[in-house]
Amino acid sequence: MATTACFIIVSRDDIPIYEAEVGSATKREDAAQMHQFILHAALDIVQDLAWTTSAMYLKAIDRFNDLVVSVYVTAGHTRLMLLHDSRNDDGIKSFFQEVHELYIKILLNPLYLPGSRIASSHFDTKVRALARKYL
Amino acid sequence: MEPDVSIETFSMIRIAILPIGKIPHQTLRDYYSMFLHQHTIPLSSISSFYTEEQKSPFTNQPWDTGSLRFKFILGGSPPSPWEDFQSNRKILAVIGVCHCPLSPDLDSVIEEFNGVCKGYASARVTRCFGFFPCDSQLEDGGKKGDNLRLFPPADHQTQEMHLQTMMQEIAASLLMEFEKYVFQAESSGTILKTPLDSQASLSSEEVIKAKKRRLGRVQKTIGDYCLLAGSPVDANAHYSTALELARLTTDYFWYAGALEGSICALLIDPISQINPALEDEVRRRYNSVISHYKKSFIQESAQRVSPLSFELEANLKLARYLCRRELAKEAVELLTSAADGAKSLIDATDRLILYVEIARLFGTLGYKRKAAFFSRQVAQLYLQQDNNLAAISALQVLALTTKAYCVQSRASISDNSHINEVGSSHADSGKMYHQSVVSLFESQWSTLQMVVLREILLSAVRAGDPLAAWSAAARLLRSYYPLITPVGQNGLARALANSSERLPYGTRSSDPALPFVRLYSFPLHSSQMDIVKRNPAREDWWAGSAPSGPFIYTPFSKGEPNDSSKKELIWIVGEPVQILVELANPCGFNLKVDSIYLSVHSGNLDPFPISVDLPPNSSKVIALSGIPTSVGLVMIPGCIVHCFGVITEHLFRDVDNLLHGAAEGLVLSDPFRSCGSLRLKNVPVPNISVVPPLPLLVSHFVGGDGAIILYEGEIRDIYISLANAGTVPVEQAHISLSGKNQDSVLSIPYEALNSVLPLKPGAEVILPVTLKAWKLGLVDLDNASGSMGRQLKDSSSPSLLIHYAGPLTDCEDPPKGSAVPPGRRLVVPLNICVLQGLSFVKARLLSMEIPAHVGENLPKPVYVDNSASKEANVSETKMDGLVKIDPFRGSWGLRFLELELSNPTDVVFEISVSVQLDSTDDKLSVGQDANVYGYPKTRIDRDFSARVLIPLEDFKLPILDGSFFMKDFKLDEAAGSRNSSFSEKSAKAELKASINNLISRIKVRWQSGRNSSGELNTKDAIQSALKASAMDVLLPDPLTFGFRLVRNNLSQESNDSRPKGSVLAHDMTPMEVLVRNNTKEMIRMSLSITCRDVAGENCVEDTKATVLWSGVLNGITIEAPPLKESKHSFSLYFLVPGEYTLVAAAVVEDANDILRARAKTNSPDEPIFCRGPPFRVRVIGTA
Repeated sequence: MATTACFIIVSRDDIPIYEAEVGSATKREDAAQMHQFILHAALDIVQDLAWTTSAMYLKAIDRFNDLVVSVYVTAGHTRLMLLHDSRNDDGIKSFFQEVHELYIKILLNPLYLPGSRIASSHFDTKVRALARKYL
Repeated sequence: MEPDVSIETFSMIRIAILPIGKIPHQTLRDYYSMFLHQHTIPLSSISSFYTEEQKSPFTNQPWDTGSLRFKFILGGSPPSPWEDFQSNRKILAVIGVCHCPLSPDLDSVIEEFNGVCKGYASARVTRCFGFFPCDSQLEDGGKKGDNLRLFPPADHQTQEMHLQTMMQEIAASLLMEFEKYVFQAESSGTILKTPLDSQASLSSEEVIKAKKRRLGRVQKTIGDYCLLAGSPVDANAHYSTALELARLTTDYFWYAGALEGSICALLIDPISQINPALEDEVRRRYNSVISHYKKSFIQESAQRVSPLSFELEANLKLARYLCRRELAKEAVELLTSAADGAKSLIDATDRLILYVEIARLFGTLGYKRKAAFFSRQVAQLYLQQDNNLAAISALQVLALTTKAYCVQSRASISDNSHINEVGSSHADSGKMYHQSVVSLFESQWSTLQMVVLREILLSAVRAGDPLAAWSAAARLLRSYYPLITPVGQNGLARALANSSERLPYGTRSSDPALPFVRLYSFPLHSSQMDIVKRNPAREDWWAGSAPSGPFIYTPFSKGEPNDSSKKELIWIVGEPVQILVELANPCGFNLKVDSIYLSVHSGNLDPFPISVDLPPNSSKVIALSGIPTSVGLVMIPGCIVHCFGVITEHLFRDVDNLLHGAAEGLVLSDPFRSCGSLRLKNVPVPNISVVPPLPLLVSHFVGGDGAIILYEGEIRDIYISLANAGTVPVEQAHISLSGKNQDSVLSIPYEALNSVLPLKPGAEVILPVTLKAWKLGLVDLDNASGSMGRQLKDSSSPSLLIHYAGPLTDCEDPPKGSAVPPGRRLVVPLNICVLQGLSFVKARLLSMEIPAHVGENLPKPVYVDNSASKEANVSETKMDGLVKIDPFRGSWGLRFLELELSNPTDVVFEISVSVQLDSTDDKLSVGQDANVYGYPKTRIDRDFSARVLIPLEDFKLPILDGSFFMKDFKLDEAAGSRNSSFSEKSAKAELKASINNLISRIKVRWQSGRNSSGELNTKDAIQSALKASAMDVLLPDPLTFGFRLVRNNLSQESNDSRPKGSVLAHDMTPMEVLVRNNTKEMIRMSLSITCRDVAGENCVEDTKATVLWSGVLNGITIEAPPLKESKHSFSLYFLVPGEYTLVAAAVVEDANDILRARAKTNSPDEPIFCRGPPFRVRVIGTA
């Protein structure tokens, strides 16, 4: 498992709808803030890159110091973004694909308003389990 | 590292501009700005100053197209250790700027300038410019050294022209200096060193290499000068040589430098611009530059000095060259790798510059978030420096990032239209609206936003900018209070307070802090000052303008131009208005709002400030008031709040958006809800317009405005005082009634009101209104017994509507269009509370007979409409007046109406009954009120009942007619058909009319206490009472019997002594019995007369008869013609004096149906028996 990883889902309106610190490193508040800053900045890169390829998984698109941002863009332009320091490309890809499935399940919930915050604790548990499995 | 580097930097000549002597800050800035226009001097323009002493080394200089480029270093800079490596880093010229009026001594100026120039050893040209010299200085200046240039006082444009000439001169001097340098460098052995290689010791083998190296470096430097001299072709030639030599000597660092220079030469050469592969060439060469800089990295000197900054600079230069949208990917890669290098940089300043440049380039690419990210990095580096200036820089840099993080201060949003547009046009298109709400109150990246705001606050505090600190703290508190602990909230409140202490009083900030303010309601005009549109064309000008009826939509109000969703509100100049707003303090500290008042953008309302204290987590509805000052539209977008020492404007729209966002779950929290306030529907802001002053009537009840408590049926006068509290006279006024129970208002003082018009401002009029309490229904009775309170709230009371208006047109300005000033409506609710009063139990008619005396004359018959009997009986007392002869029975009779009343209340009532006599009595009346008979008052105590006897005038109908029985008694059809329906109806109507006539004349008045009195409504009761007994009492008997004394002439004179109508004993008394037929048909009957004594014994037939008689007394057959009388004479002889009673009776033969009906017989065979009333005979004399 990666020592540092931050997973975030950003809606098509550029609003984060799910955030999780999934790294094994001890949590530090300023580090977590830094992760969010990096991910927020990476959205600029994603917005251009997403239209250059038909693949959903955009691989590592940005980095800052030793932290890398990998992005997976769904058809609805929801972006699954992972900030990590490991180089386990296959694992990240599988992680994204499985989270995408989970996200689709959330979308299918008639009570969920697309673009709003994902508050499901079940989703959270599943994502964290996937992170432990793949990252 | 250097800021603002680009490939072209190599071709720029650095000139330091230094202030000499005293110069005011602003003046210096003006001078600097003059220089900045002179950054490019075309070679063609300097030829007049240029003299070619030797053959120029710049053989290929493009005199027609080329130019020299200057880079002005304002205030100068220390020399760089890398000057030899990149000649453009050298400061090649120094220009001193002197403001002559403040530096009168030119000698000292020159001295100072020369001193300063010593610091710039590399400077080849030095000039000192003196601006605005006085005449003596001008004169003097000519003699001073050739470095001093004085600019005669002139306007700005002329001075710029002068400056341009001077710069051309400097350019020419520089060009000549460059030529000199190139000659010198080529010939003599110039040693060129960089910090990189200064330490390296040279071995013998390397000495040869070093020579070559030196040659290469000299070639590179000459190339640099060629570039500076604006000759790219020459530069390219020298760079090629330098590249060759550097490659041979593995002088990678200089190789890279020469390569960079050659790229610059390529770029500024106009010929190469047409080459389509230029970009690829630049890219290829620069990649080579970067790799060579990498190669030149020497491990041992890495601690001290490193070529890394050149590598990064090269990265940035290429990135800047490629910085276009379509090449974004490449640029991003370059910038990312440049950013990677940051952590290896030794110098913090270098890192700072690197991040600044990266941020700038990302910004150029349009990557706002990336730029913001690096800007924040810059700010953090500044904050690490821990000094005031760095903190100011940090604050400024952070201010740039706020837009990307959506936390910008309102002040930085220059045009509000952006928000306006978002707020209005997308209001109904769902998804877009979300976004606009979110962008206003974006909570989703709240972590970032809070961090940025906290950093702004921190840097502002350090930088000593209290307003910026206040604004940041306000934004933080207002937008993120749910995410901040109470301790943190308190800290922010303290920060706000501390900042405001350092701000001057009355400072305004564009960012509102707390409290949250939302519109609660726009109170419409109270019913006391309602405004009514005026229709001058109609007499009833108020009609049709006031909303009538319970329907919100009426089909008649079509064609209204304005949208129905927008309410219209009219305010009046000079009349205070109120708006209710709700304040919320969702934080954990006590909030003191020093003052809050309406923000009026239209400027025609004088708002009144109030101060409010809001406890933690509380909300409050307050009324904000103001006075409209001038006619026009009023815009009230929000409130001005003075809180935490700073004045801010709180817009209602923002909070509406916030609440909307909260409802959608997009925003953190609804501040009003968290304070326990109820959810409120969005209050639309009505269109408010102010109209000129109108009259204003104020009403109050004389004697207290409380409820008017009346008992059922009570009549009372109340007085309403109307005062004109406006500044315009009331010229038209009209009173009308509305609401329930309108008939309880007996009189409306139309005249009293109209007589005082026009009612001047300040004038008062008192209007009397007579009220009569209505009867309580069953439901009301329940209420009355239940609770008084409910009764009061009951809306059963009527209201007086007073429509009034001022002058029709203002005399000063003619009406434009429909400028008729509106009228107003005053609603005066008559707050009547009706209590249960006396209640009516039942009523019945009673009759009493008093036997008549037998006299010489019969009592004259009285017909219904004839009051002849009263003529005879007008007596001393009014009571006696009602005892009268029953004309049909021929006896004295008295009729009573008995009313049984009960008093369930807790007060005492006094009843007085009055009967109004007929109007024909007027001539007989003694006094003014003689036509009303009063009776003694009857007192009814609480919880008691009493019977009131009302003596009635006796009356009967003249004819016994079949028509009376037609409907009521359902006789046979024959009778019905016989009578014409007309007479039947008219007779019935006559009966009814007579009953009504009687009833209307009876008034039962009551009084309770001192001032409550009223009238009991007995109409229905009497009617029902009469109906039951009307036939018995009111209908005439079919036969009327009467007795009369018959006097002969003889005895008349002897009668003088005895009382009239008396009879003497032992005397023959002739008498007549008169039988009157009251029907329209002949009646045959068998008449009998009996005489009884006091004991009731028959004294005629008995054996002990005391009365003798002559004539027939029994079985007399008489035929009475219709409506006529017939007589039968007889004589009596009384033996014993005393009282006797004569009674006549008859058995009707062949009785018809009417008689039977009247007698209420059961079978047709039953004999009809009529009996007259007893007549009394008083027999006087001695026994």
